[in-house]
Amino acid sequence: MTVRRGAVGAPAPRVEGLAKVTGSAAYAYDRPVADPVYACPVQATIARGRVVAIDGGAAAGVEGVLAVVTHREAARLADTADAELAVLQSDAVAFRGQFVGVVLAETPEAARQAAGLVRVEYDEEPHDTELRADRAGLYTPEQVNGGFAPDTDEGDVDAAMEAAAVTVDRIYTTPMLFNNPMEPHTSVAVWGDGGDEGGGGPGEARLTLYDSTQGAHVVRSTLARVFGLPPERVRVISPYVGGGFGSKGMPHAHNVLAGLAAMAVPGRPVKLALTRQQMFSLAGHRTPTIQRVRLGAGADGRLTAVAHEVVEHTSALKEFAEQTAVGARMMYAAPNRRTAHRLAALDVPVPSWMRAPGEAPGFFGLEVAMDELAQACGLDPVELRARNEPEVDPESGRPWSGRHLVRCLREGAARFGWEERAAVPGTRRAGRELVGLGVAASTYPYYRFPGSRAVVGYDGSGRYTVRIGAADIGTGAWTVLTQIAADALECPLGAVRVEIGDSELPPATVAGGSSGTASWGSAIVAACHAFRGAYGTEPPPGAEAGADMPRDPDAERFAMHSFGAQFAEVRVDADTGEIRVPRMLGVFSAGRIVNPRTARSQFIGGMTMGLSMALHERGVLDHRTGHVVNHDFAEYHIATHADVVDVDAVWLEEEDAHAGPLGARGIGEIGIVGAPAAIANAVHNATGVRVRDLPITPDLLLR
Amino acid sequence: MEFLRPATWAEALAAKADLPEAAPIQGGTDMMVELNFDVHRPAALLDLNRVAELTRWTAEADGRLRIGAGVPYARLIAELGDRLPGLAQAARTVGSPQIRNRGTVGGNLGAASPAGDSHPALLAGDAVIEVESAARGVRMIPADEFYLGVKRNTLLPDELIRAFWMSPASGPQYFSKVGTRNAMVIAVCSFAIALHPGERRVGAAIGSAAPTPRRARAAEEFLAAELDWDAPLEPAVLRRFGELATEAASPIDDVRGTAGYRRHAIGVMARRTLTWAWNDLRAGRTERRAG
Repeated sequence: MTVRRGAVGAPAPRVEGLAKVTGSAAYAYDRPVADPVYACPVQATIARGRVVAIDGGAAAGVEGVLAVVTHREAARLADTADAELAVLQSDAVAFRGQFVGVVLAETPEAARQAAGLVRVEYDEEPHDTELRADRAGLYTPEQVNGGFAPDTDEGDVDAAMEAAAVTVDRIYTTPMLFNNPMEPHTSVAVWGDGGDEGGGGPGEARLTLYDSTQGAHVVRSTLARVFGLPPERVRVISPYVGGGFGSKGMPHAHNVLAGLAAMAVPGRPVKLALTRQQMFSLAGHRTPTIQRVRLGAGADGRLTAVAHEVVEHTSALKEFAEQTAVGARMMYAAPNRRTAHRLAALDVPVPSWMRAPGEAPGFFGLEVAMDELAQACGLDPVELRARNEPEVDPESGRPWSGRHLVRCLREGAARFGWEERAAVPGTRRAGRELVGLGVAASTYPYYRFPGSRAVVGYDGSGRYTVRIGAADIGTGAWTVLTQIAADALECPLGAVRVEIGDSELPPATVAGGSSGTASWGSAIVAACHAFRGAYGTEPPPGAEAGADMPRDPDAERFAMHSFGAQFAEVRVDADTGEIRVPRMLGVFSAGRIVNPRTARSQFIGGMTMGLSMALHERGVLDHRTGHVVNHDFAEYHIATHADVVDVDAVWLEEEDAHAGPLGARGIGEIGIVGAPAAIANAVHNATGVRVRDLPITPDLLLR
Repeated sequence: MEFLRPATWAEALAAKADLPEAAPIQGGTDMMVELNFDVHRPAALLDLNRVAELTRWTAEADGRLRIGAGVPYARLIAELGDRLPGLAQAARTVGSPQIRNRGTVGGNLGAASPAGDSHPALLAGDAVIEVESAARGVRMIPADEFYLGVKRNTLLPDELIRAFWMSPASGPQYFSKVGTRNAMVIAVCSFAIALHPGERRVGAAIGSAAPTPRRARAAEEFLAAELDWDAPLEPAVLRRFGELATEAASPIDDVRGTAGYRRHAIGVMARRTLTWAWNDLRAGRTERRAG
């Protein structure tokens, strides 16, 4: 290990916590800019067709309105290869809610009022928004998210299923889901020229964007391409972000709209904040999934076949293929394995990343199927999983860098009181409630993306500044990176100031794939070592050294994944079917935990989101209109405080010797994986009713 | 849109008479949602928040309570929870603390949503709604006659809701609600019961299971005829009460639940609330059941 212990591993409080709770942390929309103009989008009210006429006359007549911009007035973009970002470039409408215009005004109220007065006439074409497994036109994508092959097929699954003593062959479904970070997507766009601060020659357009994003650098590089600017003439500033869950992992159409809007009012910054309702069309979502899971096993529960075949949707405008079945490729030892992804390209908003894309929906199907197999074999579900533990990664044949799933399961079983679980479902009762316990396994890959660089500077008086264009979306990155730098510099935590959230800082990869701490942290460790190598422990003020994230040779030689065991207790009212979850416990193996305080928040936050997915969340798409009808918090239910009683997470004390200098594998997403299955399995244990379609609602339990 | 801000009740009535299409707004917890969703756009808003008398309640000479239409749920719970336990239980299930600080029974009555939480308790507790117009003065409308259809009530265009009247509970009262989560939830269905031991009578009403909140009349009449007030509850009586309560419902399927589920749950809640109330009565208690 190349980082001494000290700050790393301590439950340091958030360095930006005081600023956040006192309201002094400026989120994107809060950023004071001189003489702002407010933008309110106009959205398509059809799901497919063309705009044939737009009458902005009444809108333009509202006091304070400065401009009504549609595809006729909007500036031409330099690059429209990404159709989601080709905003206001044509009359085509590809989904309901797509931008067809934007109103700019002196106040947000005037902009909103005027946007409601813009009259749009359409030539409406038939649309298609309904996902079914038996529909025509399903296709195989070239690859699924993460760059994985869409299909795998090893051995002979059909023959193995035929020969298996015990089989499970079931369909599992998950609904359309929405990320819904607390802070909506906001962008403040400021165009300037070389005369402004930031350099460049006179007359050279520059774009500054105060944005709510998971990656200032990716927004910069993407918008530079879209607007035809060299990247150094785009600056993205995003120090504080109120959650993202993947929906702010890449620029979406609103970023481009803000830039276009600001071009229409030269010399003035434009503020754009999506409303909660607009986010349901414009900020990405998780596709609904239809998953066929087949498991074949001997009477002893040892798997001979695992097949996970998934049907899901993408937008006809732009492909996003959720990698729902990828987790099934490496999870259990079975000689015959098949996975497949089929897509329907529909007239729906563009799906995108949502916390643990792939694993979150995929492990609902796989882990409920494992529970069904345990039941069919008469085995304890913990024992069934232990019997199917692979020695090496079944997919790559590589050794594991550290696979401790069975330890997580055993430790969780002991802590949770698993022995109290009724072997026969529906037989444990407390008063009028049926009580059940459930378990599910969890996993998430170790990702470390190349492209990050950190620079360390000595400010004198024993103080250091570490600069890297990383993002803290509420995860604790501000704090964790400070801890890592302090240890790598071998100085106290208070001696280090970290700067993140600005594309003027050295490049950093996106806060996605649970990769931030490992990617940015190892770049910081390398930079700190380079600094000490160049200047020793007595550097002159102004001394500076940087380093790129070092290569990771072990990533080629080992299969590197985090694992976890999720336990849930549910109580179901025997008469009304109302479901409560009094206890959840997650036991995780994620390598070294850099900050137990912020890590615990990540784990239990993910588990809570999994509880919400299990019992509440469901986007209702009206296929007559292509409209997500429950597009607000009144009708799209998320778990409330009153639904979340006792959610706890613990982890194995470990370091992954192969996971870079920190030995940490990432923790942001694994908490949601398996949590819905653990609850569904507990509901079955309580009631004997097997629910294979999320969310689980009271009426389903009274059949 | 015009925004009218009368300072007194008389001014409010005059404004409503002048502009009957003006929509009254008090807490705004329902009206602002409707405006946000563009469900309708009234020609004017009549802000009643400055009308101080709406936010007061009084114990009247005849023993009844007269509660201003602008008394928010939070105050109803804190100040009247002991005398109107059924209504207070219903009020506790409304929205979040912020909503309960703003929202009012008057607003619930004005909106007349079949899913409004206060309605079953008002019906079971024999509430009377006091409405008034500048032209014709006061009308006293029993809650039972107040609701006409989905989000429709018997208010005339120039009338405003002044208050509701209820007698302090003369026996145990309960409210029960099924929702798809534990808080901030619109009822899948709900049920309220109020025992009137002195009159040997039971009030019972359903919510969110018919086009309007409604009394379960046949169930009430059955109990009035069959209940032996001096004996433990007969299982057959309890069962029949649940069936008759279910029959009072005419629910629909929607995203919150199926019609079949609603019928089932109404029966469960009817039996459950009667059992709780009966146990309280037998134990000689009339206060809200602990826990």
